[in-house]
Amino acid sequence: MSEPLPVLKVTQPSEIPDAGLDLRADVVIVGSGASGAVTAYELSRAGAKVVVLEAGPYVRSTEFKEHTPTAFETLYQDHGNQSNTTGDLLVLQGKCIGGSTVVNAAVCFRPPDQVLENWRTEHGLENLSSETLAPYFDRIEKNLSIHENEPYEVGYNGRLLLEGAKKVGIPASPTSRNVKDCALSGHCIAACRTDRKQSMLVTYLPWASELGATILSGTRAESFEVNGRRITAVNAVATEPNGRDKPVRVNAGLVVVAAGPIQTPLLFQKNKIGNSSGQVGLNFACHPSLAVYGEHDHSVYGWVGASIGAHAGDIENPLRGGYLVESAMAGPVSISSSVDGGVGRDFVEFMENSKNFQAAVTLIHDHNVGRVFLDGDQKQIEYDVDDRDFESLREALRGTARMYFAVGAKRVYLPTTRRTTIESASEIDSVISSLTNGKHKYRLTSYHPQGTMRMGADPTKSVVAPDGRCHDFDNVYVPDASLFPSSIMVNPQVTVYGLASYIADQILARG
Amino acid sequence: MPTIGAAPVAAATVVTLSAEERQLLEAFAEAMLPTEGTPLKPRSEVPIADNVARAFSLMEEPILEQVRIGLKLFDLGAVLIGFHFTRFVNLSIEKRLDYIHRWEDGIAMQRGIVDLLKKLTCLGYWKDIEAGRAIGYRGPVSVEGGVPNLGNAPMPAGEVDR
Repeated sequence: MSEPLPVLKVTQPSEIPDAGLDLRADVVIVGSGASGAVTAYELSRAGAKVVVLEAGPYVRSTEFKEHTPTAFETLYQDHGNQSNTTGDLLVLQGKCIGGSTVVNAAVCFRPPDQVLENWRTEHGLENLSSETLAPYFDRIEKNLSIHENEPYEVGYNGRLLLEGAKKVGIPASPTSRNVKDCALSGHCIAACRTDRKQSMLVTYLPWASELGATILSGTRAESFEVNGRRITAVNAVATEPNGRDKPVRVNAGLVVVAAGPIQTPLLFQKNKIGNSSGQVGLNFACHPSLAVYGEHDHSVYGWVGASIGAHAGDIENPLRGGYLVESAMAGPVSISSSVDGGVGRDFVEFMENSKNFQAAVTLIHDHNVGRVFLDGDQKQIEYDVDDRDFESLREALRGTARMYFAVGAKRVYLPTTRRTTIESASEIDSVISSLTNGKHKYRLTSYHPQGTMRMGADPTKSVVAPDGRCHDFDNVYVPDASLFPSSIMVNPQVTVYGLASYIADQILARG
Repeated sequence: MPTIGAAPVAAATVVTLSAEERQLLEAFAEAMLPTEGTPLKPRSEVPIADNVARAFSLMEEPILEQVRIGLKLFDLGAVLIGFHFTRFVNLSIEKRLDYIHRWEDGIAMQRGIVDLLKKLTCLGYWKDIEAGRAIGYRGPVSVEGGVPNLGNAPMPAGEVDR
């Protein structure tokens, strides 16, 4: 008889008395995703009494359905409908206990050295060198079982990418992921049903809980009690599924806002705090991502194997037009909505042939041209692809098409909003060159919002100081991806984990 | 105090499609997804419009309002913009496809609306697990395959003095 699986101890809104809760803690953390969870564990480990407030629900892994539309409805911000103001960029984020770590593809990269060097020279972050951060990344990689995919984990789709990259001279390798004994279900973005992905849901959060941290789900931070340069309490609302609200107040000596690059600046803006620099919500970047399919004469079954098996690209040069291509394919909803297969018979054939598709998504280093703000009570994510970044997107598409044709693809489908194909390698340059930047021309997805609470040494140009503390406060820290001064091109989870660990150390050192 | 984004765990409001919206979604799907004579699951066996209604019920009100205006513009646009002098839903399949292509090549707003309709159709149809299986997609596998849950990872050894 097997033992019952360990679950996470979470206080859900239905368990909160109608009169609400008034809690006292050493630390209150807003958000339970990558940075909130790591901070919760690190500070609990040092003996602090920690309370974590998560706006999203607690969904146990045994309730995950391995069905992307259902995951969007239950685990994603705005039920998977979050988009830019223009409406042509889907911005995906997790909204559940564990945040985006529950629904990401488990891809792990350290930040490129070139990015950290840029942060040093352009933003005064002398403290964030590769050498300084290395021990933090080492520990994270060990704790989360991060390893390069073994050959058996790289499906045929990934192997095709590796082979194509080799043929055209683009650096490539199997991807590293935070998984343990991966069952290769291919359902990472619908959340891991069997706890193989080492998300915060099954690692840092239960560890923090075991050390005494209190975790509340369905509890949305709304306002702060401010006294001079200190926030003394966070007021939140716990909402039951039937819509009933209950007040939650947490009085704490230290406040950590780890709600992510969209919600963190909105919370600051709504409360009109922390913005002496005028930078809160600005400098939004998001790695606009494009899917590309290469049709073969034989089956590829791109959805079999690790969700992302391999990658290719010049990842050491993000600031000089480098790009990243990751072998990836999800289910039919994603296939049909990320690339336009046409309409009528064209579309039906496109979907019938999708098992023959080699598939990948592209990532680029984009400029921080966007902003996040409230228009009345409505969130706005103002971001359109900059012309400079469009050149990088075209290069990524060109490189991907070259890799596909090198391994025998007979046709390449591009992620335009009107079906666009490349029928042979000789057409690549002419087709790609004909693409122009513009609204609603491409099916763009962002999996990596970042940069709205910029970190920097100069308080007139940044929101967060090099140690993670808000310039305007003595006891408020922001450890999430909103502090990235520039986009990093690679999947950000390891960078977030590492920076959150580093910032936790700075908090503890300050006492 | 205004709230940020959608309520976190509140039950979805049930949204009912208007007769015109349902007609449009069905007419669009008929043109986009001709499953007859193909291995695909027959379109008539998938509740596309109901699945879209479910998606609508999860949208924030201001977004849903914009979506509904977009659908109306597309349908009625055939009267004047398309010089068909009748709604999209009344066009022949051939004319519907031609109309769709003209919106694909139109101004940004037209491109956005027609792309939205395509995505809604895709969501409404491919949400059906059996529709995916008809093209070789496996769908959920872990329960069927008896893959055990690993549960929480143990806390790293030696990190805490206890």
